[in-house]
Amino acid sequence: MLAQTITQQSLRRMAIQRPLAMPMAKFASPAAIATNSQLMQTRPVATRNIKPEEGYKILVEQRKNRPVAPHLTIYKPQMTSIGSGLTRITGAVLSGGFYIFGAAYLAAPLVGWHLESASLAAAFGSLPVIAKVLIKSVAAFPFTYHCINGVRHLIWDMGKSFTNRQIQIGGWAAFGLSGISAVYLALAW
Amino acid sequence: MASIVRPSLLRQACSAAPTARMLSTRASINASQRIAQPSFVRSAVPTPMKAAAFHASAKRAILPPGPQHVEGTANDPVPVPPAEPTHGSYHWTFERILAAGLIPLTVAPFAAGTQHPVLDATLCASLLIHSHIGFDSMVIDYIPKKRFPKSRALFTWGLRAGTVVVAIGLYEFETNDVGLTEAIKRVWTA
Amino acid sequence: MAALRSSTRLLASRSLFRTTVPVRSFASVNPIESVKEATSASRPPVNESKTSTVQEPSASPDARIKTFHVYRWNPDEPTSKPRMESYTLDLNKTGPMMLDALIRIKNEVDPTLTFRRSCREGICGSCAMNIDGVNTLACLCRIPTDTKQESRIYPLPHTYVVKDLVPDLTLFYKQYKSIKPYLQRSTPAPDGREYRMSREDRKKLDGLYECILCACCSTSCPSYWWNSEEYLGPAILLQSYRWIADARDEQTEQRKDALNNSMSLYRCHTILNCTRTCPKGLNPGLAIAEIKKSLSFS
Repeated sequence: MLAQTITQQSLRRMAIQRPLAMPMAKFASPAAIATNSQLMQTRPVATRNIKPEEGYKILVEQRKNRPVAPHLTIYKPQMTSIGSGLTRITGAVLSGGFYIFGAAYLAAPLVGWHLESASLAAAFGSLPVIAKVLIKSVAAFPFTYHCINGVRHLIWDMGKSFTNRQIQIGGWAAFGLSGISAVYLALAW
Repeated sequence: MASIVRPSLLRQACSAAPTARMLSTRASINASQRIAQPSFVRSAVPTPMKAAAFHASAKRAILPPGPQHVEGTANDPVPVPPAEPTHGSYHWTFERILAAGLIPLTVAPFAAGTQHPVLDATLCASLLIHSHIGFDSMVIDYIPKKRFPKSRALFTWGLRAGTVVVAIGLYEFETNDVGLTEAIKRVWTA
Repeated sequence: MAALRSSTRLLASRSLFRTTVPVRSFASVNPIESVKEATSASRPPVNESKTSTVQEPSASPDARIKTFHVYRWNPDEPTSKPRMESYTLDLNKTGPMMLDALIRIKNEVDPTLTFRRSCREGICGSCAMNIDGVNTLACLCRIPTDTKQESRIYPLPHTYVVKDLVPDLTLFYKQYKSIKPYLQRSTPAPDGREYRMSREDRKKLDGLYECILCACCSTSCPSYWWNSEEYLGPAILLQSYRWIADARDEQTEQRKDALNNSMSLYRCHTILNCTRTCPKGLNPGLAIAEIKKSLSFS
């Protein structure tokens, strides 16, 4: 046993001392590569010392090059975001029209328009029936959708109906209900 | 990494020219396929999507955010603004009470008719303030003060001026004409 | 150790690789032994013409190949534009979750793909990214088995990208620090030991303490996209509520005052993308509604 150990250790020492003498250099064993300076990879690397403040300046410069990850273009359209976006858009459209009418009514005498209720009613009445129904349903939907979603928002503000399931069902119900009431308002009134 | 163990893979990874990295590549485990394809093969993303992928869509040109800037170091907390309830909780409470009040005010003309001037005036005023709060919210959301101080001031004061103008216009309409709900009814049923 | 040195010289003088050299009977990493093995006459090395390392094994006929499109950007080429790279994997050899796919791509296809990951079980929050349009944890997101659909993997939306799928969350952590996420209490406990709370008070913290700060919810909120610097975002507000609702904390009013301005809390318009996307099933939208209620009505 001791003879075996001595033999192994001697072979190893020989490998370390005289690597090229060993035929094992012919074979690409890890020991041969690691000890053979002709095969070892050298990389001339220059290092320099910089202080932490200089390193921080490098980071600040790197930050300026970073792109912003895409958002609107890649995010999945969901009931939550689309519903909320539509509430805002319908509100903006309705209020925008409201504001434009209010300002126009004030400016009408100066510009020569006729925006009294009588003339508006007469102008609208003269349109063909299909155009009237279309315009009415297109105008009613933002109103009904914004109102119904407004009620949903007030329910959320009370802290109710926040599970994912309730949000999904509520969203579809709001769409359906506002569509139906818009058509009803357009046709029946 | 496995590429060290499989020299073929390492060779291929190294031989892919640096410029090829600039282009979209199709890297797959089946390397024999890869050899057959030319190095300028485009990615599998279809062309219209590729064009739209990293540009704001043509419909809404939202300004891209500026380069990253961190105030202070990574260890400093963001500053806590001073408490301003008029722009915080009081504003929110008022907005919700107004919105809740709008519900009966909107239902009333359908139920009780359109010939009530006081009800009509209340509805108009509430609608106007509700619209103003909504627009103001949009201005605060989409025009950050730090990035566009002048535009933000312009739109904020422009909105206030607009609200005043519309208020006068609505007052004129209420007094000279039939009132909002009656006018809508007349146009609707024309 | 003269005995060893003499034996060294002895062995150097004659041929080493005879089978009479004793072999160790137990397993060990012994380079000399393996060399001996390789060169002994009983096992000559395989002829070079018969070994080939260029041919990859061809795909098996029942392989389920799925394509993944991954967002790439290299800070070492800072002027280059971000782009999408596509990788195909055989799902039969890949684990069930998106993170398994990403790790497999990195190991076997493209080692330069960079992403954060740690626990692989949905508790550390490192692998938060946008997969097929939805923010989630890659280690909890199953790969859809339909191979006709191609998966798209992006970093968390509207974050500054450090590299490939790694977002910069510095602002997120600074905002977390600003809400003082620790117990603030000056009066000692009544019995001089722990600060106790009742079971009912402890129940109020359920759904709040489990947040792993993965940033999926905040980066799904369009309000946070447009106003990251002033609006705190659902994750931070959820944690803020966790401390407002903690019965042991005594700085509740100060915590509420910190949020009582036009931007920190009230940029929330109840869009509810946050609740929809939370990979842990928490409800930041509800927590924010509770904060708004407590600021207005108490």
